Amino acid sequence: MTAVREAMESGAISRRMWFYANYHCNLECSYCLTESSPRAPRRQLDHRLMKSLTRQAADLGFEEVGVTGGETFLDLALPATLAEMSESVPVIVLTNGTLFVGDRLDRLAPMLGHEISMQISLDSADPDLNDMARGPENFAKVVDAIPRLIEAGHHVRVASTGQAPDDASQEALCVLHRSLGIPDEDHVVRPIVRRGRGATIDGSIPAGPDELFPELTITADGAFWSPFAPTVFNDQVDTDLLVSRTVDPLSLPVQRLIALAQGRPTGSDVANNIR
Amino acid sequence: MQDRYHHEMSSRVSLIAAEQAPVSARHLFADGDPGPLVASWAQVPELLDTALPFVGMILGASSLSVRYKELAILRTSALMQCRFCVNAHTEVAVDVGLSESEIRALRGELPLAEAFTATTEVALLRWIDAVAGGRGSVAQDIADAFTGQFADFEVVELTMLIGATLMLNRYASALQLPNGADSIDRLQRLGYDTGLLGVFA
Repeated sequence: MTAVREAMESGAISRRMWFYANYHCNLECSYCLTESSPRAPRRQLDHRLMKSLTRQAADLGFEEVGVTGGETFLDLALPATLAEMSESVPVIVLTNGTLFVGDRLDRLAPMLGHEISMQISLDSADPDLNDMARGPENFAKVVDAIPRLIEAGHHVRVASTGQAPDDASQEALCVLHRSLGIPDEDHVVRPIVRRGRGATIDGSIPAGPDELFPELTITADGAFWSPFAPTVFNDQVDTDLLVSRTVDPLSLPVQRLIALAQGRPTGSDVANNIR
Repeated sequence: MQDRYHHEMSSRVSLIAAEQAPVSARHLFADGDPGPLVASWAQVPELLDTALPFVGMILGASSLSVRYKELAILRTSALMQCRFCVNAHTEVAVDVGLSESEIRALRGELPLAEAFTATTEVALLRWIDAVAGGRGSVAQDIADAFTGQFADFEVVELTMLIGATLMLNRYASALQLPNGADSIDRLQRLGYDTGLLGVFA
């Protein structure tokens, strides 16, 4: 067994690796980790690099790849790239779900038949509360898109980000996602993390190396500790959780992450559910 | 963090502050400001992990005397007009006991012959001037004089030291790394020109 597989088996690092495909976004969410917006620098990852690193990840023993942003589907070439990546390992792609209006959904056709899951953000069953954080019309666009995506044959998950909801709010959200065709096992609830725009939100939780599960994350700025790590604050990329600037060959940041991870206490990330 | 530095010229890259230090470099910031070399290398953690032990080995304690090492570092830095390194190592030279005339000679403010007469040191300084200030091979008479005074392992170490200093000189000069404000104050109180205007220009 390789050192990488041993590190995964022992739980020192995640079996999943992430890419930040880009940093720009059509939305400007109040808690965004990366200060993404239509005005944010794109900082896109080259698709050939993403495909190459995914193949390397599979060879090293990673079992899944995640792709996040920014709004990932602002890049019209992404569906075909995801399809190719998924030939190495299953892929999960995060999206705000607002771009699939009308026949734009057809642009996702290259993904059909591949092991690709789409994770769409939906924070509340209350449209006003949801849109307060994510922007006008967000709720309406998302609840319109999810059933159509499922009907078209895509696997869809829902991620809800926010401060711990009361039981009634949580239940209302679950009733909503079930009504949209999303089973409970495909609903993820995440806290607001005290990084990026979330750094100034009351009730957000700290997210340093002691709280975040080591989950290698590749960006245009290098390799980071976790998808919660390559954050942006006041237009500056945070470097406190930077693992290396080198991303290719992938073995270099992987080995550095393992070395760093094996020197840290374990367990607290599970309590915080920051995965 | 930059407030600790002398701001006659500002660094051309951001110097990483302690709260932004990458995980692998945090220990270097634990006792305060690690200096602009480390704070800039921390932009590239994997480079820092390699460069710091390399520089530490070459510039730090070794089989060579501290005096020989400072002759090599300060003279090379002066020849390269590296303000950051000359200021930093003028202070080191003072601390390790070089005389003011020796320091000023190494900095180019006095003829070397006025401060250095020992055969070994003269041979070393001619070697430094040829390696740091020249191009191509070193003249045979300079090499013979130098290798006649030093064992092979010392020749290797001193020449690596000159080479590493050249690398650091160009790095620090190009990026305009700032000296600490306290260091500049001290050197100015001692009467040294911290701007190096005219030296080897």
